[in-house]
Amino acid sequence: MEQFIQQCVNAMQWGSFYALIALGYTLVYGVLRLINFAHGDIFMVGAYISFFIATALLAQGGLFGFSQGVTLALTIPLTMLLTSLVGVTLERIAYRPLRRKGAHRLYVVITALMCGLVLENGNLAILGASRKALPNLLEKQIYTFGTIAVTNLKLWVILAAFLVFAGLHFVVTKTRIGMAMRAVSWNRFALPLMGIPLDSVIVFTFMLGSAIAGLGGLLFAMSYPVLDPYMGAMTGWKAFIAAVVGGIGDIRGAFVGGFLLAFVEIMVAAFLPSTFRDLFAFSILLIILWRKPTGIFGLPLTTKI
Amino acid sequence: MLKVQNLKAGYGNIEALHGISFHVSRGEIVTLIGANGAGKSTTLKALMRLTPPESPKVKEGDIIFEGKSILGLDAHKVVSDLKMTLVPEGRHIFGNLTVMENLNLAAWTRKGEKIQADLDHIFSLFPRLAERAKQRSDTLSGGEQQMLAIGRALMTKCSVILLDEPSMGLAPLLMYDMFRTLQKLNSEGLTIIVVEQNARLALSVAHRAYVLDTGEIVAEGKSSDLLEHPEIKAAYLGV
Repeated sequence: MEQFIQQCVNAMQWGSFYALIALGYTLVYGVLRLINFAHGDIFMVGAYISFFIATALLAQGGLFGFSQGVTLALTIPLTMLLTSLVGVTLERIAYRPLRRKGAHRLYVVITALMCGLVLENGNLAILGASRKALPNLLEKQIYTFGTIAVTNLKLWVILAAFLVFAGLHFVVTKTRIGMAMRAVSWNRFALPLMGIPLDSVIVFTFMLGSAIAGLGGLLFAMSYPVLDPYMGAMTGWKAFIAAVVGGIGDIRGAFVGGFLLAFVEIMVAAFLPSTFRDLFAFSILLIILWRKPTGIFGLPLTTKI
Repeated sequence: MLKVQNLKAGYGNIEALHGISFHVSRGEIVTLIGANGAGKSTTLKALMRLTPPESPKVKEGDIIFEGKSILGLDAHKVVSDLKMTLVPEGRHIFGNLTVMENLNLAAWTRKGEKIQADLDHIFSLFPRLAERAKQRSDTLSGGEQQMLAIGRALMTKCSVILLDEPSMGLAPLLMYDMFRTLQKLNSEGLTIIVVEQNARLALSVAHRAYVLDTGEIVAEGKSSDLLEHPEIKAAYLGV
């Protein structure tokens, strides 16, 4: 039982990463009906950006010599900001021209896939294959409850995921721009007729999704401080699957889907040989989709995000 | 106020408008009538500066709004700067938003202004919308959706409204109601350009009309004159 609870805590942390990435997938899909396959790599870029910022700001050999706490406090917003600019750049140079020309959705998706590969391999070409390690930004503290051990970082990661979800839910359901995002997802044609610039709404969506991926990248790098150019590929794929299982286009679905996938993965790995992990995890997800093809929260072709 | 000069526009290589010219003055109701494929909707989309692929590309000619060409404007600027908007064919309401959210969203360009008076006005014109304010708008009936589409256009506080087939799919009674409402709005100062299949109905409320046929204007004049015109009667009024 205690082992189970311990694994639950681990799954919550792992699920937080999936959820943070899946939220970005689902936002862009919900608004644009575009599966932004470069999103996993934006997560990777976010991790690298946090590495460069943290290294530059931190005391030992850094440019500024800030303390750990100050560095972390600055790294979070800077990483989110810069990562969101990467997402916006992709939209501007890759997706928007296609949208203007009325390209079929398939071409946009393939473009997204290629953008992801460009990001991965561009990183490989510029920074080389050597792995980077994020400097320690948070003194590790371990809280023990009986035999269950939780680090402070784990708690922060889980808390961050929940806060981001709550914030995003608020933006989408309660604010003007969120209303516009939902409107675009239903009918892109009519939005300009309300005097609303469509491109601004789309740019905002990309900013939001990429900033969240950037935060995910930072938190991931803090938890597993070894960075490599392909770290976003598999995690990104899995987060995408989580978003689909949750019902892509619905932010609750992405959130729940992320945690669900992590729970299945961690539990299989904990109680069965670890080579069974992905086989079992994806078989279970297949069964869920077989029973509910539009995902847990998905409604056939109605409300998205 | 609005002048269209020798406008040629089309989709890809297909030219849909072969150089049409017309004008609209403030306070008028002007209708464009004609058969399917005559270029009526294309004209409205071109006026709104909507972009391809759904909307046409202007190849020649000009659209002048109060002395200035608007060909370089984006659609959302036409709404926010020129105060001209379109109620598109097929309504295009935001079905996943509530009635109230649809109306609030349409007030986007009026950030910070008080909009309660306008909401009240719309609800007095269309009491059905008030009853359903909190309802998801895709649960509305067709006629109610059309009311919402018009209400939404009014919320933009535009002084010129283009309507594309407002009577489509409405029961006759609702249809007359709708046009009476349009007349009422016009008497309050709204300029209206309406495209309509139901030519008799459109001519009965409009001040002036243009008849389009395969991308060209073949007749124009006062509505009352066109209603009496033997050829128009035969071709479009089915008498």
